[in-house]
Amino acid sequence: MSCLITLSHAPYGSQVAKESLDVALVLSAFEQQPAVLFVDEGVLQLLPGSQIPSPHKHIGKILSALEMYDVNELWVEQESLDQFGLAIDDLSQTVNVVTRIRLGQLCAQYHQHLVF
Amino acid sequence: MAGFSYMSDLNMAASPSLDLTSLTYAIVVRCGPHQQSRALSAFQFTKEVLLQGHKVLSVFFYQQGVHTASGLRVVPQDELNLTVLWQQLSLDYDLDLGVCIAAALQAGITNQQEANRYELGSDSLASQFSLVGLGQLAAACAECDRLVSFGGG
Repeated sequence: MSCLITLSHAPYGSQVAKESLDVALVLSAFEQQPAVLFVDEGVLQLLPGSQIPSPHKHIGKILSALEMYDVNELWVEQESLDQFGLAIDDLSQTVNVVTRIRLGQLCAQYHQHLVF
Repeated sequence: MAGFSYMSDLNMAASPSLDLTSLTYAIVVRCGPHQQSRALSAFQFTKEVLLQGHKVLSVFFYQQGVHTASGLRVVPQDELNLTVLWQQLSLDYDLDLGVCIAAALQAGITNQQEANRYELGSDSLASQFSLVGLGQLAAACAECDRLVSFGGG
């Protein structure tokens, strides 16, 4: 079984980004082979060196842990990067880029798809 | 992104080995009971799935959804009380209502055992709901034919 987890929330301001990444980590611990797709404000989770609002955990640290948990497949939507004027070199993780028109094909590669 | 996401594997749906007349579902509720229409959609969808003769492995309440499991909510008399609706559905269909323990404890939703552990004054988990780990969601993902998530936002 494989699961694609789509993250569309900004890293801080709520617990959503952290809780969504927690699901990715747990799915991997249960050998579900999760992949993660960043869209919309979710791409902001990939910005390195952001200041952390004190009540929050550092999203960058959780992202770094993904590799240790064997979550190696990270995707980011090209149009979402464009929306924030970001290039792939600006990101903290090595990611694959997918265009919006190909999202359907990407989703079809997985048994399940969880959208946060 | 849409709050409602329907997950399916196109190849799997086409597979003759899968009996489409009776599927196994796992439901994820991430919207709070105060987000009336979304939260109601989650409930109505689950109820309909059961009425149609499908199996629901578990309902997993996460993020804002954990508030549904609070036994201390008071809802105006002319509004639907989703906590009660889920409880009744659980009784009618022997439905498993799992609540993410980490998210629930942060929201002040606790059972007797956790209340004792953290020396809290009282517990607040509504009956029929149980506090479980994210592992239960992972297990449900592995076992279900269809995973349907109702979003927050």
